[in-house]
Amino acid sequence: MKKWWHARELSTVAILALEVLFFTWYLWPGAGQPHPFLNVGNVLLIFKYSSIYGIAAIGAAIVIICGGIDLAPGSVIALTTVVTGLLFVEHGWPLWASAAVGLLVGIGAGFVSAWLIVKARLPPFIATLGVMGIWRGAAYIITEARFYDLSARLPRDWHIAGVSVDWLGPIVMLVLAAVFQLLMTKYQWGRSVFAVGGNETAALFSGIPVHRVKTSAYVIAGLLAAVSGVVLAVVQGQGKADLANGYELDIIASAVVGGASLAGGRGSVAGAVLGALIFGVLRNALPQIPGATFYDRLIVGVVVIAIVVMDQVLVRRES
Amino acid sequence: MTGLTFNDLHKSFGAVHALRGVTFSVARGEAHACVGENGAGKSTLLKILAGIVRPDRGDVRLDDVPLHFSGPRDALSRGIGMVYQERLTFPSLSVAANIFAGREIVGRAGRLDEAAMRARTQALLDQLHVPVSPDVRMEHVSAAHAQLVEVARALAFDCQVLVLDEPTTSLTDAEVDHLFRVLADLKARGVTILFVSHRLPEVFRLCDRITVMRDGAFVGTFDRAATSPETIVRSMVGREPPERVERAAAAGGGPPRLSIRQLTRRPSFEDVSIDVRAGEIVGVFGLVGSGRTEVLETVFGLARADSGRVALDGEDVAIGSARDAARAGLALVPEDRQRLGLFFNLSLRHNLVLPRAVKAGVGRIHEAEEDTIARTQVRDLAIKTPSLARMPDTLSGGNQQKVVAGKWLATGPRVLLLDEPTKGVDVGAKFEIHNIIRSRAAEGMACLVVSSDLPEILALADRIVVMREGRVRGELAGRDATDEAVMRLATHEVEVRA
Repeated sequence: MKKWWHARELSTVAILALEVLFFTWYLWPGAGQPHPFLNVGNVLLIFKYSSIYGIAAIGAAIVIICGGIDLAPGSVIALTTVVTGLLFVEHGWPLWASAAVGLLVGIGAGFVSAWLIVKARLPPFIATLGVMGIWRGAAYIITEARFYDLSARLPRDWHIAGVSVDWLGPIVMLVLAAVFQLLMTKYQWGRSVFAVGGNETAALFSGIPVHRVKTSAYVIAGLLAAVSGVVLAVVQGQGKADLANGYELDIIASAVVGGASLAGGRGSVAGAVLGALIFGVLRNALPQIPGATFYDRLIVGVVVIAIVVMDQVLVRRES
Repeated sequence: MTGLTFNDLHKSFGAVHALRGVTFSVARGEAHACVGENGAGKSTLLKILAGIVRPDRGDVRLDDVPLHFSGPRDALSRGIGMVYQERLTFPSLSVAANIFAGREIVGRAGRLDEAAMRARTQALLDQLHVPVSPDVRMEHVSAAHAQLVEVARALAFDCQVLVLDEPTTSLTDAEVDHLFRVLADLKARGVTILFVSHRLPEVFRLCDRITVMRDGAFVGTFDRAATSPETIVRSMVGREPPERVERAAAAGGGPPRLSIRQLTRRPSFEDVSIDVRAGEIVGVFGLVGSGRTEVLETVFGLARADSGRVALDGEDVAIGSARDAARAGLALVPEDRQRLGLFFNLSLRHNLVLPRAVKAGVGRIHEAEEDTIARTQVRDLAIKTPSLARMPDTLSGGNQQKVVAGKWLATGPRVLLLDEPTKGVDVGAKFEIHNIIRSRAAEGMACLVVSSDLPEILALADRIVVMREGRVRGELAGRDATDEAVMRLATHEVEVRA
């Protein structure tokens, strides 16, 4: 019987481990000094940073496995921080209610993408490219060059049940990853997502409600992007229209590095989160290497290609 | 010697020995057939010839000069033109652009010489008697003409050897006639033809010599004049072809389980009424364009009827989607298993349990139960696979087809609709699939089998409904139907009712 923790995720874990080992060795400090990379504070920082796009990458992986693509999550994140900030700061709503409306915005955004793709029959790339501009624009229209300072109304050094709010993102990411990994591998809904992405016509012939499955994928992607947005707003204490700019590419790259095939039908949620962590470590460690600042983006690009190429070589060897 | 020689070719894909020492020759100027069941190694042989796959051992020689297998271009430059089974056309480009794709005629400074390509295309099309303009886009060209355009593409560059892989599968008889006239004409002009096909009547009509392959090995080359189709079939499979099996249960009466009444979907078909009783196998025969597949798809809810009713056990059912159909107790085994039937990203186990799970609307997946269901199907249908974790593309065509049937049989349907259930599968698997259908009918399932394979319908069906141009033209009892009687109805005769 195949384990849900099967080979593909293990190779992503191996890459992550290699990466951590490399930076641990490369950034080894002089005698008596603390390690700049391998310490509790920095690891928390990596998780905190990765979780923002890691949460959204879970949704991106589901959409990609379903045979689609979603370019909107960066904009949905920004719009969610703005809506949550607007209600919380300007209208004095309680935080939970503001955040709930923020999540509803994400769900609504997912439904709009799904409607354009399923009903208006637009190609997913085009539909979500347009939607991406619309939500980003909406965020700017609401804020009009201002930003909402949530931190002013939030407690300083905030702890929930004894846990620092800094842990909010990582915990939410890991819990959601576990939930959706289970849904995708152990539930009929997940199987249907794989089936639709693998062969849409066969899925239709098999009695799978293809439109409903696709809609669910985009709505979940919207919801998870909104969760990222709420976490970002709370942890960073800001609601701002230009947050998470360009994140959609990091989010898609996380899913792809984690094994999702843009041809659909292949990938995993756990892989996407591991992919996000691989990027998180790179983004965290590279600036600590003297002189590497300018190479940062280039290295990230090379790593994406290298991992996907390696993956294809492995897949080819298997078959 | 002159001609094409395959010399001790060996090829393995992992543990699968696709070719184990194939040696035979095609003489210059002859029409030579290569026949064999699926999995006999014909496709691998052609891929080696085209330069897509490299042999592990051995070589292919044209006029005693070895081919280099550096890629498809090598074969082309040596005058070997291939017409593949799959359509390899560019739908949005013109016919002329398709013919010259990758080998365009260019003028000075690399500019495309459209006029020259157009003129050459026109000449080729005229030569093949294809009434298609070089400027029309490929997507507007009919299947039969597209086939001939591919022949034209193969011929465009001083072709000495023309290789055709199952070229007639989607053609009507008249279109086959046209293709064969063209091939005979080419042969008369000295072109060597290598013809790969399942269809023995066509092979005997066209070819001078016939090479039989089995399980990746060369069995023998036969002269047409000195052999018979029976001999060829025996050497292909090592046994006699299946006979009609009479079933006692089929004769019984009883009310219809599936009742199709005056079903109409213009322009595909009109006023189609068919009854299928529990335990009965009804065959629907028709040529391409008769509307036979469309009837099945409409009954299964994949297309909406203009008018008419479908009743199950006497009660009208409204079926608007495949989901409704599955819930009502229908199952459809579609014709195109690659496109409509299988998920190549899912394991056999998951493929086999999917429609059942969808129908039951289960939430959490019970792996043990799944495993039992999948194992039952693999055992009942004798699906040959080392493991349920395998992907469907590792199976042969016949086993893939059994998986498609199995995934629907697992839903426990009351009515089984089958569209060309044995298309492209070998003789052995065909017989097994027929037995599966018979045993399901014996258990009380109502089976409606659509097929354009006349021997299949005659061997299998208790009653035969013949369609032509979207209408039911007659009904015959399976026991006393002859191929002639069915074919007359399918082609021209006035209606009769059995």
